[in-house]
Amino acid sequence: MGKEELREELLKQLHEGVVEFEEDKVREAAQRVLDEGLNAYDAVMNGLAAGMQEVGDLYDQQEYFVPELLMCADALYVGLDILKPHISLEDLGDKPKGQVVIGTVQGDVHDIGKNIIKMMFEVAGFTVHDLGRDVPLEKFVEEQLRTDSEIVALSAMMTTTMMGMEKVIKMIKEKNPNVAIMLGGAPVTSDTATLFGADGYADSAGNAVQEAIKMIGRLREMQAKWTDN
Amino acid sequence: MGDKGKVKVIFQPSGRRGEVDKGINIIEASRRLGVDIETLCGEKRVCGKCKVRIEKGSFEKFGVVSDPSHVSAWQQEEEKFITPEQRASGYRLGCVAEIQDDILVFVPEESRAGKQVVSKAARDIDINWNPAVRIYTVTVTPPTFEDPLGDFERMTQALEKEYGLKGLDIDWFTLRDLPNTIRKGEWTITAAVWMDKEIIKVWPGRVEDYYGLAIDVGTTTVAAYFCNMRTMEVLDTVSMMNPQCKYGEDVMSRITYHMQTPGGLERMSDDIIEGLNELVRKACEGTHPPMKKKKDETGKVIKDESGEPIMIADPEEGKTYLRLEPSDIIDLTLGGNTAMHHILLKLDPQYVGLAPFPPVVHRSLDIRARDLGIGINKSSRVFIMPNEAGFVGADNVCVLVCEKPHQSDTLQLIIDIGTNGELVLGNKDKLISSSCATGPALEGAQLAFGMRAAPGAIERIKIDPETHEVDYKVIGREAWLAYSKPEEMKTKGICGSGILDVLAELYRSGVVEKSGRFSKNQKSKRFRTNPDNPRQKEFIIAWANETSIDKDVVITQKDIRQIQLAKGALYTGCKLMMRRMGIDKVDTIKIAGAFGTHVDREKALIMGLFPDCEIEKILSIGNAAGDGARVVLLDRDMRVDAAWISRNVEYIELTVEKDFERQFMESMQIPHMTDLFPHLEGLVPEEILHQK
Repeated sequence: MGKEELREELLKQLHEGVVEFEEDKVREAAQRVLDEGLNAYDAVMNGLAAGMQEVGDLYDQQEYFVPELLMCADALYVGLDILKPHISLEDLGDKPKGQVVIGTVQGDVHDIGKNIIKMMFEVAGFTVHDLGRDVPLEKFVEEQLRTDSEIVALSAMMTTTMMGMEKVIKMIKEKNPNVAIMLGGAPVTSDTATLFGADGYADSAGNAVQEAIKMIGRLREMQAKWTDN
Repeated sequence: MGDKGKVKVIFQPSGRRGEVDKGINIIEASRRLGVDIETLCGEKRVCGKCKVRIEKGSFEKFGVVSDPSHVSAWQQEEEKFITPEQRASGYRLGCVAEIQDDILVFVPEESRAGKQVVSKAARDIDINWNPAVRIYTVTVTPPTFEDPLGDFERMTQALEKEYGLKGLDIDWFTLRDLPNTIRKGEWTITAAVWMDKEIIKVWPGRVEDYYGLAIDVGTTTVAAYFCNMRTMEVLDTVSMMNPQCKYGEDVMSRITYHMQTPGGLERMSDDIIEGLNELVRKACEGTHPPMKKKKDETGKVIKDESGEPIMIADPEEGKTYLRLEPSDIIDLTLGGNTAMHHILLKLDPQYVGLAPFPPVVHRSLDIRARDLGIGINKSSRVFIMPNEAGFVGADNVCVLVCEKPHQSDTLQLIIDIGTNGELVLGNKDKLISSSCATGPALEGAQLAFGMRAAPGAIERIKIDPETHEVDYKVIGREAWLAYSKPEEMKTKGICGSGILDVLAELYRSGVVEKSGRFSKNQKSKRFRTNPDNPRQKEFIIAWANETSIDKDVVITQKDIRQIQLAKGALYTGCKLMMRRMGIDKVDTIKIAGAFGTHVDREKALIMGLFPDCEIEKILSIGNAAGDGARVVLLDRDMRVDAAWISRNVEYIELTVEKDFERQFMESMQIPHMTDLFPHLEGLVPEEILHQK
């Protein structure tokens, strides 16, 4: 088997392993990528992330639901844990990367949706600063300033806690108007997002996943272009 | 257009009309004009239930020219719910369209908030007679020059001498009634005494029977038990929709209404107080003979000066009527979830809606009825049940007072299913409680054809595993579809109990896989891709010709996902609580709530609403919350018990458990991803129950 052929084969296995949530398949393929001296970054982006992109599509078509999504995520993390330490700085060098501060706002302890989005950001190559749940509003501002992150992603699952988002947005925009703010969670609508002055919005966990998947998709396209040049 | 800033609005078919402020949306206008339109999501533009049609044309009868352009511009969110054809004929979402000029609005049948069928009948429960309010009759000697003692002291001395009641006080309002009452009774008087402390009512002469009300204020339904306090007999059960429903269907949307609307808390509180007064009137009305129109000898209706027919009593022969008035109600007890409790008492509910969800108060309260504006006997106090926690309220205390798990050896799991699921697990050794956000899906909200339990709602379903053909029954009609003509069904949607049936039957018949996904192996033409939405897979429950809304009633893949989320939340709650207690099975599962009386326990187990249990050990306990309010009305010791329960049931927040996410995910599958259900063997075909 030629090297390119082998690469294709392993990428396919990683991809399928994620989609079919088969952790063993992913583990084996990821290990072989390292053993054969193939590029770890390539394996993550064009194997694991590509698989997750298909998962997003399946979710979008309602073929998959949250349980399947989380099982796919488990498989994905198995691969990431093996491959990530072997991604060289050179791979990342001139490629776009970003930082995102993410958390569920004060008064809210629901974080499944947030965790899914977090994973998507990680897959997409973002550095994620996860503040967890029930996060005091000021903490978002502090963390953004400390890390100089480009994106702040806020989640709320209850209408009562959603009201806190407006305050956070105001506080952040006052300090740093260039930060992009994404809102998500069951009670949030595009209207509330606009009203609160947010830059992006996802109307449900599913939609947020799709948005994030699209971002991965765009990212990969951009990278492909740069690689070609 | 009339006055500046005012526009005319007419609602059809109800014919309600009036002037409202320009710029408010149609839902707000409907509230002000007393028209009920479904707003399940609390105007968040996500449920699509408030679809209305803006008529086009000049309506001389009402003096308006109506046009769809008289409301604010079309919004993108409306596309999800309104087809292009509907849009062209003037359909809009009531919560989106703001009124700019005069309009005539048609409210289609499916958008009307129907009268709900409520199942909150009283059960037989053992209650020990020891009410907080007791009555005592004394006869005193009339005052003379030798003994000119005051009326109050004369009465209390006799009460002390005959019944040992020391140091009695009297409420000012009752004191004012005393002088004439004692003389009217010719120095025999009956006094109602609250907690051996205070006289709150006096009657002339000897009285034996007296009356009280026990009320359960539910998020959706308010139910009252009208009791004879001497015999403990339930004279009547009266109920109504919670009038706050118009501000949103669930607790959270009401709290949000308060947070966003100045004066919102007062408005909601006033509404429920008005509702309670209506219940009081309704309860009393039932003790009077029915009324009929007065007729002359020729059978012609006699009218008064204003042309209204004169009404006269029409008593049934041989029947005695108690003919009670609101002022005859001497004691009143109230239970409700923490948010309902807070809103009723005008206590700021917003902190109940924010983690860690502390209530304003745990302990029970005794508040004068007149201070609350409840029109019963003026001096009476209303007993308000204590709260356990932010999401486990006084209604749950009622359930426990009634079921007494704290006095039992039996290890029981009590599930109160509503918009919020409340769970209690344990026995006399230890009791823990929790709540889980089941959401409104189990009650029919947020589903494509979900509706409240009202006539036309599908409540029972069977699906043939061989053919995938459907048979069903609707509320308001005895005969199933198989024994009816299609046009006789007049189906409108699916209600809560129907929803449990749907998921259980879809799974058992193999239409839906364990994962909740529609199977690739469909046996009927009922499975299809929605003609207008290629992304939506759906299964037809009722064909259009069986409905009164002229379209197929379907259950969509998304609906199934919503039900899975709700049932997953409940199952996870049960399982994590059992783990906390270190047990893997319980002796009995009790299902409470108006919902509980309708649940087919076999179906509930099949769809995996809770962990495996012997079917015979799954019990429906009806509206235990209302029964609990009745217990404390008739037994003051149970008020002490309630206080103890409210502080000794340990509340556990489950969402912070480390593996909550994984547990929740596994619980979303039908009946569960990994847990075994030995009691379903034989009920569900083997190849279905043990599918991968």
